[in-house]
Amino acid sequence: MAAEPKAAVEVVKVDLFEDDDEFEEFEISEDSLEKEEVKEVSQQWEDDWDDDDVNDDFSRQLRKELENGSEKK
Amino acid sequence: MAYVSMGEAHRRITEYLNRFCDAVSYQDSSTLCRLLSFSSNSPPLLSLADALNVFQDSSSLIRQSDRFSEYGEILAHVFRSLQSYRVGNLVEAYLAFEKFANAFVQEFRNWESAWALEALYVVCYEIRVLAEKADKDLTSNGKSPEKLKAAGSLLMKVFGVLAGKGPKRVGALYVTCQLFKTYFKLGTVNLCRSVIRSIETARIFDFEEFPRRDKVTYMYYTGRLEVFNENFPAADTKLSYALQNCNPKRERNIRMILKYLVPVKLSLGIIPKDELLRNYNLHEYTKIVQALRKGDLRLLRHALQEHEDRFLRSGVYLVLEKLELQVYQRLMKKIYINQKLSDPARAHQLKLEGIAKALRWLDMDMDLDEVECIMTILIYKNLVKGYLAHKSKVVVLSKQDPFPKLNGKPVSS
Repeated sequence: MAAEPKAAVEVVKVDLFEDDDEFEEFEISEDSLEKEEVKEVSQQWEDDWDDDDVNDDFSRQLRKELENGSEKK
Repeated sequence: MAYVSMGEAHRRITEYLNRFCDAVSYQDSSTLCRLLSFSSNSPPLLSLADALNVFQDSSSLIRQSDRFSEYGEILAHVFRSLQSYRVGNLVEAYLAFEKFANAFVQEFRNWESAWALEALYVVCYEIRVLAEKADKDLTSNGKSPEKLKAAGSLLMKVFGVLAGKGPKRVGALYVTCQLFKTYFKLGTVNLCRSVIRSIETARIFDFEEFPRRDKVTYMYYTGRLEVFNENFPAADTKLSYALQNCNPKRERNIRMILKYLVPVKLSLGIIPKDELLRNYNLHEYTKIVQALRKGDLRLLRHALQEHEDRFLRSGVYLVLEKLELQVYQRLMKKIYINQKLSDPARAHQLKLEGIAKALRWLDMDMDLDEVECIMTILIYKNLVKGYLAHKSKVVVLSKQDPFPKLNGKPVSS
């Protein structure tokens, strides 16, 4: 979590454990919101991305490397 | 600080005293909230603070009326805290507020209904924020910061007051979240365990009864704890809940949830769409996702190095580093597909020499023994189905599904 593993001094410790990701406070009135908007965010994942397509640059370069028997660039 | 005449100061202080006592008499929680939100730096509170600093003897005003002296102790501490806050004496402001909070909680306990719950929330929030400011002051003066820790103890006390059968119990989750913020800031996240246990196992609590905003915050923090503990399916459930129920207008909060959810999803073999990373400015994950899609180990390495500090600070570095095995799997699959195209008869036999060549191309020099070792690990972790023909230096792949998908399950440890 921290870059410096050993903090001998208390003073330094406070900086190390600064939580960068403190959640912002919600107002009480925020509880009523439209469900529609929220759904959009959760439809942003792919679980079927692992296809057999090898027409991208990386795959083509890989094929060249394997077929040529060339030395490392 | 603005100039205030004694007369004006007297008027402002008396006005506050009346407002406070009215709020309590008429159970007006929202007014009480405004009267106690020091950190909002609202003009009325600042002008009251100026008045207090001019008048100096506010306790005499309090004593003058029976109505005011009923809450004499509470009000004296409030005034002292506000005065100190105004002149930048943050340690004193905290100490006085702490005394106020203790006295307030005692009164709150005696009020039968839960009318003052929102005011209690404000008290909890203010005590934490004041403690943080006080600690910053102490640190910059070379002294030991201990006010936030003290605030934590007080919040635990408040939690105890709310953990009962009555209507006040719905406030417990808000206090829990303030405790989380406190412990995360202090780095003492292990202390979260006892409140979590109370919330999740005590019979008096029904999680669904809590306000949605508190549930979102709760799931965010407990989700982060699951990430630290590498329980990825649980982290996925909790962070996804937070994401789905978070107010969509709160983009900074959504970004924070995603900051932890993306590595979790990647560990489960699920990839975020580019649009998602763009919309929430999560560019630090772009190359990692690309590396996984392509099977590009060199890109993964670069991506980890480029944002090393950031990943270390948020605690996701190790999670991302472990994606290496999944990137290996993708690379092996590409090598296999290539072979199917060029030499279909022997497609299921991957020469270790060929794999070594591909790795060298990606700036990873390995001898055949090391390659064999990696392949063994991939097979052991069920990322590759097959076996090693050691003598012929070949990996013989299973004819069926040689590169099993994770299907939402993390790579076995």
